[in-house]
Amino acid sequence: MNTQLIEQIFTCVEFGKINEASPYPATMKGQPGSDELTKLALEQGYDPNVILYDALIASMNKVGQKFSENKIFVPQMLLSAKSMSAAMAHLKPYFSSGAVKRKGTFIVGTVFGDLHDIGKNLLSMMVEGAGWEVVDLGVDVKTEKFIETLKLYPDAVVGISALLTTTMVNIPQVITAIREVSPATKVIVGGAPLSADFAKSVGADGYGRDPQEGVQWLDKLAS
Amino acid sequence: MMTHKERFLATLANAPVDRPASWLGLPVPAAQQGLFSHFGVNSIDALKLLLDDDIYPLEVPYHYPPSNHIACAFKFAKVNHDDTPDERTLTAPGFFEDYEDPADVDKFDWPDPARYIDRNEAAAMAKAIDEKYARMGVMWSAHFQDACSAFGMEKALMVMLMNPEMFTAVIDKITAFYLRANEIYYEATRGYLDAVLIGNDFGSQNGLMVDPDSLRTMVFPGTKLLVDQAKSYGLKVIHHSCGSIYPIIDDLIELGVDAIHPIQALAKDMDAPTLKAAFGGKTAFCGGVDAQHLLVHGTPQQVEDKVHELKELFPTGLIISPSHEAILPDIPPANVQALFNALTI
Ligand code: B12
Repeated sequence: MNTQLIEQIFTCVEFGKINEASPYPATMKGQPGSDELTKLALEQGYDPNVILYDALIASMNKVGQKFSENKIFVPQMLLSAKSMSAAMAHLKPYFSSGAVKRKGTFIVGTVFGDLHDIGKNLLSMMVEGAGWEVVDLGVDVKTEKFIETLKLYPDAVVGISALLTTTMVNIPQVITAIREVSPATKVIVGGAPLSADFAKSVGADGYGRDPQEGVQWLDKLAS
Repeated sequence: MMTHKERFLATLANAPVDRPASWLGLPVPAAQQGLFSHFGVNSIDALKLLLDDDIYPLEVPYHYPPSNHIACAFKFAKVNHDDTPDERTLTAPGFFEDYEDPADVDKFDWPDPARYIDRNEAAAMAKAIDEKYARMGVMWSAHFQDACSAFGMEKALMVMLMNPEMFTAVIDKITAFYLRANEIYYEATRGYLDAVLIGNDFGSQNGLMVDPDSLRTMVFPGTKLLVDQAKSYGLKVIHHSCGSIYPIIDDLIELGVDAIHPIQALAKDMDAPTLKAAFGGKTAFCGGVDAQHLLVHGTPQQVEDKVHELKELFPTGLIISPSHEAILPDIPPANVQALFNALTI
């Protein structure tokens, strides 16, 4: 199969080109975006799995890498994520029918007491762009909310974000509660004041300094 | 011995000081009781006196309910909340979320600061402070952060790239508001104010949140106006930005700021040796005592050691202060004491 459209979608996601109407990036003005190109690719009979893996996931991986190296910043990453979502919307029916499978479910939230959400949101977008279903519980998430949601998605992996020293100490309470109801559930934590040592000390299974590390850890679980 | 103000000014000028200048910061209400009982005082003023602190921060009396805080001057958020500095999240959907035409900027009901700043109260507050202190107006004038909340932060960051004219139209309006507000405040406090604290958070732990080019074209022009205005009143300018901001420190120097605050020591490239090597003597700093690990989990001895290390690196040019002005309740008061003890021993 010709892979030209896949490469084009990859490029759109990498540079944040959402659709034809979007003026960004200036160099791609007037050209179709990931929205139109994904639709076209499906119409032309491209395998949705190939679109997901070779265009969207591969491109978001590159985006995450560039972000991690401070080559791009939050605005660029948000537009890449938007472009990815526009493409992903066309894949929805294939997820529902089972023709395309997600790698798993990721429940994520900012721990109670904490209102910082920009990092958590970027993580959500990257994890979605890596082929996972994401259930985002928002900010100031109480322990009970994590547990309730885990009951709805018993196989999910849980991610907890904290940006304050005064709220990272709330993480152990959430992890203890998770272990009580579901000992096998894997938990990853992250946020500015956290470290791998802290993660270990509170019994988390993983730590991610940035979304890229989070995704790599999740992908190891899924493989 | 130098007065607080002499020490402060000499530090900004990178001239010799008798001991490093200091700033306690702004302990949050939940942290105050612990500090009061540890030090046996009953007010922040008494605590500052006891610690021989150099900077006296002055809040702007701004009567705009419910927050009554100039950092919450714009009701952009579409959701209902108290809009206090503690509850505002910047990411909530904002008034300009769905506007694309820069001409629509006037659809928002822009507040007139003259209606809410109490000039007499501002003057009285400033006059009440011993003139030997470095009296610092806490202006914030966070035009970038307000522009973020004007759209909702994520939307705002995308608008910066997709529709820079729209972002610029909004941020320029916000800057105009602060220029007017600050003019009123500077006039009212003329002769009784030495410095101002302004700024925005540009950094996260690992790097800038926004690319330097976008900051340079859309944000720093406003910063420049705010800095120039303060300087025209003879005020020193301390510029605040949390996080890792190494790549824009030269820009801030160029913009004319006198000191850069709060030097988040654990953020990427923000440790004192790195800053000293790159910018020593070119500007001054305020902050640097890590509040993400050391002040929270360290022992008083470790805090003292760190302050000694900072003194050695910066015999002047650094106002020693926690790496976030908001002292949170998890910082043991004994560590605050250690920080101040180490300034003189
Ligand atoms: C923006 C910001 C705010 C905004 C938040 C806007 C929002 N809706 O999120 C506002 C102004 C509201 C705010 C408020 C406060 N803040 Co604040 N804030 C920041 C700042 C400058 C940047 C955070 C950010 O958004 N970065 C951008 C994103 C993309 O990065 P990130 O969040 O770090 O996330 C990345 C990684 O950590 C990772 N990640 C994050 N979560 C997770 C989770 C998992 C599972 C994984 C794998 C990865 C991961 O991925 C992200 C992308 O790389 C930081 C500075 C810093 N060093 O981080 C201070 C900072 C976090 N804040 C601080 C403070 C003190 C406060 C306040 C208490 C101040 C006050 N008194 O009002 C309040 C607290 C409010 C509350 N209850 O939560 C301090 C905390 C110090 C401490 N002791 O821990 C910091 C560190 C600043 C400093 N100088 O010390 N803040």
